[in-house]
Amino acid sequence: MTKTEEKHKSFLNLNLRTKTLLVIGIAFLILFSVFVSNYFIDHTAVLTSNFYNINQPPSFEHLFGTDWMGRDMFMRTLLGLGISIGVGAFASVISTIVAIILGVFSSVNTVVDEFVTAVIDLFGSIPHILLIILVSLAFGGGYYGVVMAVGLTHWTPLARVLRAEIKKINTSEYIKLSEEFGKSKLWIAKKHILPLIFSQIIVGVILMFPHAIMHEASISFLGFGLPAHEPAIGIILSESMKYLSMGYWWLAFYPGLALLFLVLLFDLIGENVHKLLDPQSAQE
Amino acid sequence: MDNKIKYAIIAVAVILIAIIAASSMFGNTSDNDPTHIVLTVPGHTGEPETGFNPLTGWGNGHLNYNPLVQSTLFGSDENGSFVNDLATDYSISDDRLTWTVHIRDDVKFTNGEKLTANDVAFTFNEAKISDGELDLTNLEEAKAVDDKTVEFKLAKPQSTFIYDLRYVGIVPQKDYNNETYGANPVGSGPYKLKQWDKGQQAIFEYNEEYYGKEPYFKQITMVFPEEDNILQLVKSGQIDVAEVPISAYNETVEGYKLVEFESPRAQGFSLPYLPDTGLKTADAGSPIGNNVTSDPAIRKALNIGINREEIVNSVYKGFGKVEYTGVDSLPFANEQAKITDNNPDEAKKILEEAGWKDTDGDGIREKDGLKASFEVYYPPNKQDRQSLATIISEQAKDLGIEIVLQSADWDTIYTKMYSQAVVMQQSSDNPYSAVYQQYHSKSAEELVDSDYRNPNAYNSSEVDAILEQGMNAGTLEDAYQYWSKAAYTGSGAGFGPNGDAPWLWAADNHFGYFVKDDINMGTISKLGQDYYCNILDWTRESSSK
Repeated sequence: MTKTEEKHKSFLNLNLRTKTLLVIGIAFLILFSVFVSNYFIDHTAVLTSNFYNINQPPSFEHLFGTDWMGRDMFMRTLLGLGISIGVGAFASVISTIVAIILGVFSSVNTVVDEFVTAVIDLFGSIPHILLIILVSLAFGGGYYGVVMAVGLTHWTPLARVLRAEIKKINTSEYIKLSEEFGKSKLWIAKKHILPLIFSQIIVGVILMFPHAIMHEASISFLGFGLPAHEPAIGIILSESMKYLSMGYWWLAFYPGLALLFLVLLFDLIGENVHKLLDPQSAQE
Repeated sequence: MDNKIKYAIIAVAVILIAIIAASSMFGNTSDNDPTHIVLTVPGHTGEPETGFNPLTGWGNGHLNYNPLVQSTLFGSDENGSFVNDLATDYSISDDRLTWTVHIRDDVKFTNGEKLTANDVAFTFNEAKISDGELDLTNLEEAKAVDDKTVEFKLAKPQSTFIYDLRYVGIVPQKDYNNETYGANPVGSGPYKLKQWDKGQQAIFEYNEEYYGKEPYFKQITMVFPEEDNILQLVKSGQIDVAEVPISAYNETVEGYKLVEFESPRAQGFSLPYLPDTGLKTADAGSPIGNNVTSDPAIRKALNIGINREEIVNSVYKGFGKVEYTGVDSLPFANEQAKITDNNPDEAKKILEEAGWKDTDGDGIREKDGLKASFEVYYPPNKQDRQSLATIISEQAKDLGIEIVLQSADWDTIYTKMYSQAVVMQQSSDNPYSAVYQQYHSKSAEELVDSDYRNPNAYNSSEVDAILEQGMNAGTLEDAYQYWSKAAYTGSGAGFGPNGDAPWLWAADNHFGYFVKDDINMGTISKLGQDYYCNILDWTRESSSK
């Protein structure tokens, strides 16, 4: 057996854990490079208009074609994905903070718990997109408005999960024991509860990304999100609507596909991290 | 189980056939009458929210066009010159404060009433107090002297007053109700409203009582499509004349020709004229002034440095003309007020001499620690203005001036217009709004968010004096010399780029319409928004039908 064959074999014989880690690593690397590329690319330089080269179909020079101002669609898409990841990251952090605060808060006593449930139900009862549009407008629109809107509306599922989890943990005997030993609520929360809900939080954050990104794209598409000169995917897609009847399919196809790919990558990471942190589910 | 699937398949098949049959029956009600025409509402104004009421903006709002249902005192012909409609003649008193208009006496409203001078006076007195777009503040009172004579009393002389008498549809005094008139308009124009399907279309049919020429087209269906849907409508052949968005200017559709309508619709940047001294607007307290654009060197350099020819060819795909003063295509244009553009070297020299130098090597000039950078606001969903802002900011970057694009709704833009540049449009051929209101200085109380005239707070006492002379001129033609002089006074002042250069006008945006091959529009109108001003002359060549 030659060395390369040996290597090949060991590659195939990876155990589930290593495979999972590998998938996570590759997916993360792709996402990270998309995000970081945003900071190394001079936006104005690559998005210069060229009106003599408008609406060109995909070619080797312009992989994704060009748009109505002659800008390279590949660069616009790449930068758009970067913006999406940025919005997703900020929004997820905000959502997670809100979810943790409310989740932990609900365990104080029943009155507070009722209150938290009411707030969760309240947010859940308003149509998602409508709420995002309202919050975005209230914060003055633009990048800031979108981040706040998506962040302040996506915490409900995670808060619900955390609340239930904490309730379950609270009924366990070691918590009762700690209480009888006179440990403070803060101590219990820090030493007993937080480590147990940590995996839920991590998975929750990662799975929030696709939602946040999709919603950012939706409200930008509807015209309530990012301004029209930003290379956001929602903007690109809404512009492409004007040109579909002219047969310029590449304006919608590639950016839409790229967005889908991005969202699927996050989903992939989320699921695999979930397998790692919660091994029981991996056996299911 | 198998039976279930079978039934399901049969059910689906039946439903599909039913849908196809129904849609082919109902969806294919094409109208083959050659004297029926389908067209789009003029100039992107969309469906009139308050209906077809001249007093709330129908025909004389942001854009002026033939109101079809109503007659007007005066109308425009294809060249934009005045023609009599109801009026037979008019005269102006020696003190220029009284305008007397005689009208025809053979005109009937569609409700059977005779149209008299009382109705004309009523219309203008109502228009003055209603919240339409018409600015009739200078009109003191309209009065019927007898059945055929109306007198308009002005507060001060206004040589351009005849423009205010144009495009205002006359409504009947009897039974006029501001709330219901829009949906049930009664007029004396060539057409009457037959049916209005809100959100979709309005159908007008020929008014048999009409006093003028009988048109070929006996029915007009006016549709109010979204910009994005227009091309689809055209491609499906459902429409005879459609205004096309800028995105479709290089499209060809079989069976249609793309007709270019000239228009005085000028587009460009308003550049805040005052420095930022902490002054605020009187109503909303928005900031006034910008320390970069208040420097004449910046404004001049931009005007000289940009390449207008290229803008017309790229942004407007050739459907336009270069524009320097905002009124280049009007009869009082001033050649001396223009400059030679596309001269970046000269522009850079002006900036250097004024002290704007790039000292930190970031490509943007500075002067006393102040960066040559300002924002430009444009309304979203307007591709022409967005691309204009983009290309000018790219050209300005080569000069070392940074222009940052900002997209905002109009309410926000009005709070920014005194302190940042805005992509504005000027489409009026009336010197009163195109020149007088646009460039006459504003007092401290007049600097308000709610007044978009003179949005950059231009002020020059020399220009003000010339504008007043224009208002006081004896006739419309006499006043031209003053409007022209206001652009360049000869002593370096003026609203043109060779004068104070308060604006960066870039191009005239012509209108493009897809017109079905068999439609004959006669002479093409020079006022692109009023493209059907001569609709009574339009015909359909029957050969191709």
